Amino acid sequence: MGVQLLLEKVKVEGIRHYDVYRREGGYRSVEKALKQMSPEAIVEEVKKSGLRGRGGAGFPAGMKWSFIAKPEGVPRHLVCNADESEPGTFKDRYLMEFIPHLLIEGLIVSSYALGSNDTYIYIRGEYAWIADILETAIEEAKANGMLGKNILQSGFDCNIYVHRGAGAYICGEETALIESLEGKRGNPRIKPPFPAVQGVWMRPTVVNNVETLAAVVPIINNGGEEYAKIGVGKSTGTKLISACGNINRPGVYEIDMTISVEEFIYSDEFCGGIANGKRLKACIPGGSSVPILPANLLLKTAKGETRLMNYESLSDGGFVSGSMMGSGGFIVLDEDQCIVKNTYTLTRFYRHESCGQCSPCREGTGWMEKILWRLENGEGKESDIDLLWDIQRRIEGNTICPLGDAAAWPVAAAIRHFRDEFEWHVHEPLEAKRRNYGLAHYADPIHVPVAM
Amino acid sequence: MHNFLKKNNLGFYMVTFSEQELAKVKEIISHYPEGKQKSALLPVLHLAQDTFGGWLSTETMDYVAGLLSIEPIEVYEVATFYSMYNLKPMGKYVFEVCQTGPCMIVGSDNIIAYIGSKLGIRPGETTSDGMFSLKTVECLGACGYAPMMQLGKHYREHLTPEKVDAIIAECRNNAAAQN
Repeated sequence: MGVQLLLEKVKVEGIRHYDVYRREGGYRSVEKALKQMSPEAIVEEVKKSGLRGRGGAGFPAGMKWSFIAKPEGVPRHLVCNADESEPGTFKDRYLMEFIPHLLIEGLIVSSYALGSNDTYIYIRGEYAWIADILETAIEEAKANGMLGKNILQSGFDCNIYVHRGAGAYICGEETALIESLEGKRGNPRIKPPFPAVQGVWMRPTVVNNVETLAAVVPIINNGGEEYAKIGVGKSTGTKLISACGNINRPGVYEIDMTISVEEFIYSDEFCGGIANGKRLKACIPGGSSVPILPANLLLKTAKGETRLMNYESLSDGGFVSGSMMGSGGFIVLDEDQCIVKNTYTLTRFYRHESCGQCSPCREGTGWMEKILWRLENGEGKESDIDLLWDIQRRIEGNTICPLGDAAAWPVAAAIRHFRDEFEWHVHEPLEAKRRNYGLAHYADPIHVPVAM
Repeated sequence: MHNFLKKNNLGFYMVTFSEQELAKVKEIISHYPEGKQKSALLPVLHLAQDTFGGWLSTETMDYVAGLLSIEPIEVYEVATFYSMYNLKPMGKYVFEVCQTGPCMIVGSDNIIAYIGSKLGIRPGETTSDGMFSLKTVECLGACGYAPMMQLGKHYREHLTPEKVDAIIAECRNNAAAQN
């Protein structure tokens, strides 16, 4: 097992409760931050750590913090994005469910750094029991003087509130989340103004993912430089990966971003190989929005280098032959899986979750869903494949928020890498109903030419 | 007739929170800045749905609008946006089965079909005795524990036909125990 900064103590009996968490060294970062450090010094440490946003975009967290406006007399807010809804992603849930005080601790330090006296955790509505766990943790922290007025006699006041969403993927987008927190539909806002200037209730706001805020704890405890020593290049620290699909050991793993994709899939420490002795066909390495990769391009880059589980390596080759780290939702597909059907269910998801503000996304996702349904059910035409390609291109980049891109990319990548499987559905509709296409050449250890 | 329905002075039945629930509403509103009580809308709608029979009627939504001093339309537009709010009566037990990619590749289609045949309903329908509803939903963040469904406040994971049988039996037993 490599370095564990977040989940090291997760298996300790009773760690969900304050006393055990504290005994195991919890809340040291709050003491250090509030007694010895200025808010600016904390922002500096986070900058030095190289920590990148763990929600999907990978934006440097320290830089995001430094953008927050500080107009005189206007309250600022930190909002924790716990609206984890990207298919394949269930890492934040694991962290909040089993070691909730780590998030609360990170939130207190981060609130101090940003000057947020009222901090919110926006959690997806379906995680109802986790909202209860968090509320218990907040009560415990408050009872022990870690929250409330004048925390540790530092003069800093902080309250944390849990706010449950009600079922809308779009609310994971930060401006939609802010709208939702204001009691409205989750329609993303046009930027600028950015939340750092005018966020919730038009006040300066920072929205960060659960894992990002939890990572602030080891950064403050050990220092930003120490944190930056873990990992490789601009992929510093550790990353939680939620692995699912056709693997022997689905679950949440903390990795230090130096291991190879191959090791992650086949090592018994992580995914434990493909289930039922099947072969690997494809993988969506960073949540449903990121490009799907066939096995050959997943394990090695187009240049033939070993692909590693980090931001740079997963995106090596751009969208032509690479993918993205995204949210760390690692979805593995074995040889029995149908790429057309998988793409269909993902497109149905995006159609369902489109907020409807922008025509390209509202209409385009529905069109793509219908066309993919046709293809999957043996009613597709050859021209449908080009039509799909055309639609996704017209959605991408033409919407207020990235949901449009997120809906376009999986379709583009599926056609790019698996076009022959789509064509087979058109030419052999009866056969396509009876069986799946299988592996074809996707698992060959040779370079596959780009289809389009 | 549900016990939360009370007659007003014109003889109409009205939805009304108990004192305890009203205190909860007040507490929720206190989480947000002065004058920003609309922010309490999502949590209060959850409370209303849980209290008033598992769905949001127009009366319920109007009542919530009154509590938060906002226009009814502001409640309707929110209630229709979020998938967790039910705008029609649901069964006593709602099986919300995930059907998105990661669940699909490990067999959620079979589970949905099995539940459907077991209960004699299709997704979106409720059994004639009002006991069960079957609802297909999109990703609930349990991809590593698939196939799965949400039942009330909790998730039921690693579903198999045997587990589904056991869950149905458990619901029937709970319902019988309550009567």
